[in-house]
Amino acid sequence: MHILRVLRAFIRVNLQQDLAYRSDIAMQVVLSLFWTLWEIASLGIIFSNTPSIAGWSIWELIALSGMWRLVNGFMISVVWPNTELFNRGVREGTLDYMFLMPLNSQFHVSVRRITIWRIWDVLMAAIFIAVGLSNSAQITTLPNVISFVVLTLTGLVIIYSLWIVLIALTFWFTKFDNNVTLLSALTNTGRFPATVYPAWLRLIVTFVIPIAVATTVPLQALRGELEVWQILGFVLIGVLAVFVSSRIWKVGSRKYSGASA
Amino acid sequence: MLTIYKRFWQVNWAEQWQYRANLFMYLAYWLVAPIVYLSVWTAVARAQGNVNGMTANDFAAYYLTLLPIDILTSSITFHIFGYKIQDGTLSNELIRPTHPILTNTLVSNISFKALIMLVLVPIWLVLYALFQPTLTITLGSFLLAVPALIMGFLISFLMESTITLIAFWTTRAYGPMELFWAAGQMLSGQFVPLTLLPGVAQTIAKVLPFQLWMYFPVQLMSNKLTPQEIALNYGLQVVWLIALFVLFRIVWRAGIRKFSAVGG
Repeated sequence: MHILRVLRAFIRVNLQQDLAYRSDIAMQVVLSLFWTLWEIASLGIIFSNTPSIAGWSIWELIALSGMWRLVNGFMISVVWPNTELFNRGVREGTLDYMFLMPLNSQFHVSVRRITIWRIWDVLMAAIFIAVGLSNSAQITTLPNVISFVVLTLTGLVIIYSLWIVLIALTFWFTKFDNNVTLLSALTNTGRFPATVYPAWLRLIVTFVIPIAVATTVPLQALRGELEVWQILGFVLIGVLAVFVSSRIWKVGSRKYSGASA
Repeated sequence: MLTIYKRFWQVNWAEQWQYRANLFMYLAYWLVAPIVYLSVWTAVARAQGNVNGMTANDFAAYYLTLLPIDILTSSITFHIFGYKIQDGTLSNELIRPTHPILTNTLVSNISFKALIMLVLVPIWLVLYALFQPTLTITLGSFLLAVPALIMGFLISFLMESTITLIAFWTTRAYGPMELFWAAGQMLSGQFVPLTLLPGVAQTIAKVLPFQLWMYFPVQLMSNKLTPQEIALNYGLQVVWLIALFVLFRIVWRAGIRKFSAVGG
């Protein structure tokens, strides 16, 4: 397939770019390990003072921090570098060339730069989720596991769509370098279950900047806390988000007039 | 000398005033961590009645006092100066008869804070109305904390500046900087009031400089310290301030000699 071949080419180029800075990769792995220790230490400190937060045990929070790592990894490996390239493209006018290419422009700006070695974070996330879940006493049923997987993907898709909308807003506002600041600032709320937050903040992280949709919500499904209609509702929102964001991207990119031309 | 600072202030203020809309966005980074930790610890305190003697209200008061202090004493040197070493634009500032960090960067830090505090005031009032903590700040404790805030800011400024200077040798100093931030979150009192850290970590945290720009001013302002603790921490601030200033000068001199402007 055309798109897959292009994606493979992008990944190869990115890999070559990353390998040019090998000491940087080593540094990032050290940092990633350090942050892992940091997270475990912070959870240890919290749970030395309490057996549970808002009904969640330490193992469930370890699983949650795996979910958060997945979202955060997506931010660091895809969202940030591509936003930076996109903003520079708008500022310097190099984005014009991208629209000339025989490739879907939304796909292009999404995957042009991927920090490949962050695959390491996905691995760590998987370990955290697996260890956390296998130690929490919850007995889960097959439907719960399926909805967990489906909702995790849905959550990531929703965050991705929001990102596309945010950068597409640049087509209207031009000077909007801060397009993803709020998104990345709020990412850290995903490290704790959304249920510990006061109602107004829970609303923000569920519906406005929906970090919790990819972190807390899938685990709630796994714990059997969600009704069928809620699960279907989130999936429906995910589908709508993809549709709406690609519409906004199309309209916006037609409005784009280039900075250099 | 004073005229130099005044001129730098005018330039930096005018420059940052242009980007005032962006300040709302930057503020988000400072708001999220205290609100997250506030929520977590008040949830714990509510479930347990108290955590080591601290009630839900104590945590809310602690983090709402911490929020403006965090902004006032933290440094943005890495963001406004680090790239100049990397891309070589530092050369332009080196030929001026003023110290690039101790004048321009310092004043830029301060004017940034002055602006962001203007934006913070209404937001802080909203947060106060939402959480309704009983604050224990008095006029006396507030005035007593002012010198601690100033020295605390200078300590964090010198420490971050020194780490930024590592870029003279490595071009990019992002790694050491991130380690510094992570350690700071744990040891400054931002993640948790230091009394809740386990024994050894607590002792280490109290000697290291991180708490001197966060935990110490917060507790001082909240009337939570004994006269001995206040004297001890002020003493620590003076010692660390002098030590970090000397270290900064040494690293700066060595770094300047190593600097070989890339481009620019």
